[in-house]
Parts: sequence; C-alpha cells; structure tokens
Amino acid sequence: MPEEKYLICEDSIEGVFTGIYDAYAFREGHEHLHIQIGEEENLRLFASYLYITPDLVKTRKVAETIQKRLGADTYMSICRALATEDTEKGQAVYQTVVDGITRGSGRRVLENSMNPHVDAVFRLSRCAANEIHRLMEFVRFQELEQGILYSKIGPKCNIVSFLMPHFADRLPLENFVIYDEKRDLYGVHPAGKAWYLVSGMEPAPESLQLSEQEAQYQELFTMFCQTIAIKERKNLKLQQQMLPLRFQEYMVEFVKK
Amino acid sequence: MENRKDTAMEMRIAPAMSLMDKLNILADAAKYDVSCSSSGSSRRGDGKGIGNTVAAGLCHSFAADGRCISLLKILFTNECIFDCKYCMNRRSNDVPRASFTPDEVCELTMEFYRRNYIEGLFLSSGILYSPDYTMELICQTLYKLRTVHRFQGYIHVKAIPGADAALIQRAGFLADRMSVNLELPTAESLQKLAPNKHRKTILRPMKQIQNGIAQNRDELVLYDHAPRFCEAGQSTQMIIGATPESDYQVMAVAESLYQKFALKRVYYSAFVNVNEDKDLPALPGGPPLLREHRLYQADWLLRFYDFTVDELLTEDRPNFNMMIDPKADWAVRHLELFPVEINRADYRMLLRVPGIGVKSARRIINARRFGRLHFEDLKKIGVVLKRALYFITCNGKMMYPTKIEENYIVRNLTYQSLASRKEKQLFAADGMQYEQMSLPL
Ligand code: SF4
Repeated sequence: MPEEKYLICEDSIEGVFTGIYDAYAFREGHEHLHIQIGEEENLRLFASYLYITPDLVKTRKVAETIQKRLGADTYMSICRALATEDTEKGQAVYQTVVDGITRGSGRRVLENSMNPHVDAVFRLSRCAANEIHRLMEFVRFQELEQGILYSKIGPKCNIVSFLMPHFADRLPLENFVIYDEKRDLYGVHPAGKAWYLVSGMEPAPESLQLSEQEAQYQELFTMFCQTIAIKERKNLKLQQQMLPLRFQEYMVEFVKK
Repeated sequence: MENRKDTAMEMRIAPAMSLMDKLNILADAAKYDVSCSSSGSSRRGDGKGIGNTVAAGLCHSFAADGRCISLLKILFTNECIFDCKYCMNRRSNDVPRASFTPDEVCELTMEFYRRNYIEGLFLSSGILYSPDYTMELICQTLYKLRTVHRFQGYIHVKAIPGADAALIQRAGFLADRMSVNLELPTAESLQKLAPNKHRKTILRPMKQIQNGIAQNRDELVLYDHAPRFCEAGQSTQMIIGATPESDYQVMAVAESLYQKFALKRVYYSAFVNVNEDKDLPALPGGPPLLREHRLYQADWLLRFYDFTVDELLTEDRPNFNMMIDPKADWAVRHLELFPVEINRADYRMLLRVPGIGVKSARRIINARRFGRLHFEDLKKIGVVLKRALYFITCNGKMMYPTKIEENYIVRNLTYQSLASRKEKQLFAADGMQYEQMSLPL
C-alpha cells in the first residue's frame, strides 16, 4: 500500500505553489499526497511528513501553468482562496489544480461544484472576495500632518495586496498607507509610483499626528451620516447586518468621540 | 467699490452660514431621493486625477435606517419656487433655507472622496429663481469638479424639469448618470400634487437624455475618445402610496419606462408624509415599506427574470400579494407548469422556480455539464431548497413527497417568509439594499 505523504507548506501563495510543484514532481499520482499548511497537531503513524521551503522559481512556474491552463479568473480565485485563514485551503487548491489540469476540466474547473475540493476553493474565494469588496467600501483614510492618507484595518483574511491596486487606481496622486493591524502588514503607495508591501514595522507615534483640517471633515461626514437617515424607516438591525460591528470600530462615523 | 457693495448685499440676504450648517440642511433635504452607484459603469483612473468607477458599486457606509450611503447626496439649494405638496422644501413651507456655492460642493466631494467616505456625488436641487438659473449653477459645479479638480469618480445629477435643453446636454457630458423624477405614476396625480410640474416637462428631458445616450454610443463606436454622455444611463423615481394608483398601474409605467425610454433603473420611494397636507393620505401605519419592497422585487423580475407585468398582475388582480413575493405568487398560480426537472429545464424556466436566483440558475446550467445533479449539489449551488422543493424534481424524483396544492404551498411559503429575519429586515430597505443583497456571489 502506498504511503500517505504530507507536504507541510508555509501559509502563503509561494508556500502552497511550491508544494504543488513538488507534489507533481513525485509523479506518483495525487491520491496519496496532501498539502498541509503549518504543523499537524495529530501526527499520523503511517504517514511521512515533508517540509517544503518556498521557492520563487517553482512558484512562478506553477502560477504560469495555472494561468495558462485554468485561466486568469481561476488563478485569481485561487489566490483569493489562499488569502483566507482556512486550514484546508492548501489541499483544496492542490486538488482543484489537479482536477483542472490532470482531469482536464481546464478553464471551467470552478464550475464543477460536485468536486468537494473545487467547491471549497469556490467558497473560500467568494469569502475573501466579499471581504475585499467590503473593505474597498469601508476603508477610512485619515489625513496626517504631511498630507499622507492613513488607514488601519483588521480584516478576516490577508487581503491588503488585493486592496492596493484598487486604491492605487483611484488615488494615483496621493501618498497613502493601509495598515493591517492583525497581520502587522503595510500597503504603501507613494504618489505617482508603484505600491509595495512592508511587514514588521511599527509606526512611530508622532507620524500619526492628524492634519489640521482632518477633524473638521470627520465631523462633517459623521453629521452627514446622521442627517441622511430617514427616521420613519429607522432599522438598526438592518444597519448592523449590512455593516457588521467588526468594521464599524475602524470607521470615523461610528467611533464615539 | 462695486465689489464691496455686492458683498454687503449678500451678507444681508444670507448671513454667512457655516459649511456644517449648510450640509446639515441640504443633506436633510435630499434624504428622500433614492440613488445608487451600482450602475454597471466601470472606468479606470487615468493616473492624472482622482477617482474611478466600479461596476458593482460600492456602499461606503450605512445609515441608521439601514440604507446605504454611497454618494454625497445633497441638494445644491433647498430654495424653491415650486410648491409640490409632498415636498419638505416647497415654497409654502417655513423651513431653514441654504444654498451651496459650486466651490463648497467641490470641496466636500473631494475631501470626502479622498478619505474613501463616498463613491461620488449625487447632486439634486430645489429651483432657485428659475430652472435655467439652477441648472446653470449645477453645470458650473460639475465642470469645476471634472476639470479643476480632475475628479473621475461617479456623479449622478438631477435634470431640473423645465431647464433648457442645452443645459441638460452639458450636464450629461459631465455626469455618469442623470435622472428626471417622474414623481407620480399618472399625469392626474402629478397635476394634483405638483401643480407646477407637467408630465411634458418631465418626459421631454428624459427623451433627450435617452437620445443623447444612443447617439453617444454611435460616436464611441467611431471614435474611442469621444466625450462620454451619461455613461451609467438614466434613472427615475416614483413616490408610492401618496396617490391611489394600483401596483399594476405603477408597474405598467415602470415597464414602459424601461422599454420606451431605456431607463437603467426605476426607483420606488415609499411616501413619507412630512407636510400633513389635506391632499395627502395620513398613513397611520408609517410609510408603505412592504409595498415598496414588493415593487422592487417585481422590478427585479422585469429586468433580470424575463417576466412581463401582465404575467404578474391584471386588471382584476391589480395589487401584489403582501404575504408572498411576486415570483412565488406567480408560481403557485401556475402549478400546471411544475415540477420542472433540474437536469433538463432551460435557463428561463429555472429562473422561474422560487428559491432559484440568477446566480444559482447559471451555476446549475454550468454544473450540469459535469454530470447529473442531485439535491445535495443544489444546496451547495445556493438553491433555497425549502422554497424550491414544491416546484422541482432531480432525476425524476421530488425531494420528498409533498402536496402540490396552491393553498398548502402558499401557507408554507408564507410561514417561511414571515419566519425569515432577513426578509423582515429587508423589506424595510429600499432599492439600494435590494441591489446590494443580490450582489453576485
Ligand atoms: S420642485 Fe417640487 S419637489 Fe423639487 S424641491 Fe421644489 S417643491 Fe420640492
């Protein structure tokens, strides 16, 4: 009986894609291979564990193959699925790639909702897409003294890199920063230039000095939000359903002053 | 010298009012207008200004009534020479009045937009001095926004009824969307409640905008860089429940607006009695929100589900069933067409099954190519089985044996919809939420 192999990968696109590359390199079919993110808590007796080190060349090859064979949309869905915190996402992505490439469903692979792995990728990707959409809406920038726009978020998934292209297109001439405080990750956009990510850096507190006008616009907008509500239609439950509290805590119009 | 006199005059007429006070008055006066930025317009920034538009639309916040805040929705002025009976700003009301300057509107739009508070501007207005005078001010504002501030975000502007065609045209080249409010479903009601407005002065600019859009489409085929005219189309709004029209009349008007005027959206606004005018109904139960909700559901059926008004309502049955939604209502009255086989039915028929929406119908069609579908698959696909089960078979079998009888099904569907928290909260929402809840999953 063939042995079950577990490929332990880093929690990142590079980690999982390198795992997929190595899994294919075994050339022994995919039934007994598993991609797992991070350490297993309950080690299995009759299985072997291999630790995969992320590799940029392998990552690029897998990324190109997915784009070519499964299409750009599927590729984006896979990247979004990998932005979630789900523990099974590595295996789901791996098996989806297998379904698409080896079993030949190709560009339509995500329509095969009868394959549970494909269905998982579809659901995870949708979950991340919702989070991205909501943060495009709910990000609030504050203007700092030097005119830099600064926003702090605490999203469910690791999506700063999905938000940056949207805001870079929208605010090309602004210096702005989006800070994910849960992952200690910064998206930085210098005016007129390309954006980039920085991790593991604490903001110096004095750099968060708000600009002179900032308080005035926050007040204007807060008042606007209160005024625009129709009191005969008051419905706080609906408000909260549409805008869950976990977002409200970061938004100027909800922060109690 | 000249200048100083002018300023002194102005001071006497309108003592300097803070931006805060103006925004307070002019947002309050605009709150009954329905708008939404999910227009299907999608435009990337050119890197030289600020802003873009996103097809699905973005709701940046939600107000205490649960409605989405997407645009800086304000009136330019709430001064008005007209006296529409349903309107807070009518001439005969004694309310605090204010007017923005074009620069103030630009400042608010730009500063809010940079901070990601809003998706753009929705500018409407009362009529100051004359329709032309007002429309001219609105055009000036939009022109400044687009050129001086290089604003490339979303702009929705109201065409002031009675304004010169050239001004409407100018506004159309600066805005993403224009709208002229129909206000009331019939000409008689309009005459009764908005004596200064006429069906003619509402339909004429509507037609003009429609033609402008069609012509622009041709130009864009020829020249990629031709200036764009109302890229996100045109919409309108009707007040529901202030006058005695039936749902059938309202929906027939909506249908012909979609067909004859190529409108993108018709909004329905449950009447809120702000003036207690003797010509207006008292509405002790509050605004007719459930009715408004049913109209939005039906509107959805017209636009995306290939239904016609005559299938949904008739002269003898002119109003929607308040207990169940219009699609379920149609289905139980056409039990002879059901059950349909999930593995065979065409797209159009799938769309008519209660519990199957546009997305799940598409996914069924796609997934069918990989093999036969079973009830578990339908659940994954997003079909609401407890609604659909009366109307479908999978591989020839129903989910479980059930009575196929109108009253029995209605009772079950009603029970569900009343039990559903979501529907209860939803019907208090308006068109914007409806759009939002149905965002592509
Ligand atoms: S025209 Fe009529 S509806 Fe518009 S602001 Fe004036 S009174 Fe109100």
